[in-house]
Amino acid sequence: MKKTVGIVFAAGALLLAGVPAWAHHAFSAEFDTDKPIKFKGTVTKMEWINPHAWIHIDVKGEDGKVTEWMIEAAAPNSLLRRGWTKNSLPVGTEIVVEGFQAKDSANRANGSVITFTDGRKLFIGNPAGDPGAAPGAPEK
Amino acid sequence: MKHAFLQCVSMLTVAAASLALTTGPAFTQSATSAPATKKWEPAKTPWGDPDLQGTWTSDDCIGTPLNRPANLGEKLYLTEEDLAQREKQLARQRENDKQEFVAADQRVGTGPPGHWGERARRPCRQTSLIVDPANGRMPELIPEAKTRPILEGAGINNPRADSWEDFSYYIRCISRGVTGSIFPVIYGNGQNIVQAPGYATILQEMVHEARVIPLDGRPHANADIRSYMGDSRGHWEGNTLVVETTNFLGNRTGVGGNGGGTPTSDALKLTERYTPVGPNDMRYEVTIDDPKTFTQPFKVAFPLTQEPGYQNFEYACHEGNYAMFDSLSGARAKEREQAAAAAAKKQ
Repeated sequence: MKKTVGIVFAAGALLLAGVPAWAHHAFSAEFDTDKPIKFKGTVTKMEWINPHAWIHIDVKGEDGKVTEWMIEAAAPNSLLRRGWTKNSLPVGTEIVVEGFQAKDSANRANGSVITFTDGRKLFIGNPAGDPGAAPGAPEK
Repeated sequence: MKHAFLQCVSMLTVAAASLALTTGPAFTQSATSAPATKKWEPAKTPWGDPDLQGTWTSDDCIGTPLNRPANLGEKLYLTEEDLAQREKQLARQRENDKQEFVAADQRVGTGPPGHWGERARRPCRQTSLIVDPANGRMPELIPEAKTRPILEGAGINNPRADSWEDFSYYIRCISRGVTGSIFPVIYGNGQNIVQAPGYATILQEMVHEARVIPLDGRPHANADIRSYMGDSRGHWEGNTLVVETTNFLGNRTGVGGNGGGTPTSDALKLTERYTPVGPNDMRYEVTIDDPKTFTQPFKVAFPLTQEPGYQNFEYACHEGNYAMFDSLSGARAKEREQAAAAAAKKQ
């Protein structure tokens, strides 16, 4: 993974197969398939808000300039059910985000794929093995 | 894309539809349990009503389409073999969920990634949520309903985005309607039932509707008093809570996941039946009668279950609904781009 990736306008390299817009709103109205992004950022804040959570990150460009980005995440209630807590993504964590930028060119993007810098997924199944388990439920 | 995400055929459903299905047993209330042979007697409240209190979820039928795929004909239930196949698919999904690293061929799209969804714990026995008519499909619209003007945004979740009013009542965090609030969708399927003498209340997690249902035999409100969620009156038939709802505002939400689909009219009458069939199992059934929209009434049914640790969480929707702003500003940005391109072409 490149240290600084910046915005990658390489739509041809990405598989843009249709993904059903089945969450709270139509993502196709919000994000632009002509503006793919992939970059590394440092978490500054996570907003646990409905209908969807947002991860705030600082992204350092190749010129060293830092820009703030917001990455849309799942519904907080679902994150809780899948084992997330407020401590799951501490400030300062480095993550790699791949997705598409907002249609209005603001620094917002959907997080189609979000990983830690070693490639581990940020969001994995609830260790309790039950999507309806209470937060912090013990592993089965 | 219309917001028919409940009706979106999930991979699970596609796989299930491809299976050879035969007519199954009589309707069973649990997603996995064998057909009920013995009537379950629920506990009673201190004032003597059947006690249905708790947080129930329709999660087990996540992904089951509202309308049955036509190739399945009148086959409502999966065979035991097909159920075993579905169970394997759920197990694979659970395993995939736990994979630590991103797959090499991971798809990148504008849509929400798979990890957003909550999961069925057991395979749903049904091939469709509609159980009557026998073909499991929504009846035809009456001619007037096909030409009736639809309020912008009603039942549509991918609007033209000229105004915030163009978005559906769901996207605007206003309402999903009665059926849209309980039909299984990808997440947030909780239904918290609380009872008091003469009342039952149902608090739904997503969009947070709270239905207060009098059980004391009082008549419906005056026909001039109308709302998104209508006016509900309930009574007990044995252990079944029967809720009849009328007085809807017309043309707001449809009979689909989260209120999507053709909006129903002000003549809509819903008759719901909540029947406890086990300590953690309930059968939910709703008859949808809207003579100004459909050529005949039809019935939807699915199981509700209680799960360890499952509870409703807060759903303060509007305050964090950035997507409204983003979609509107995105549409304006696209218009500016198109105008600039047109102007450049002229020069």
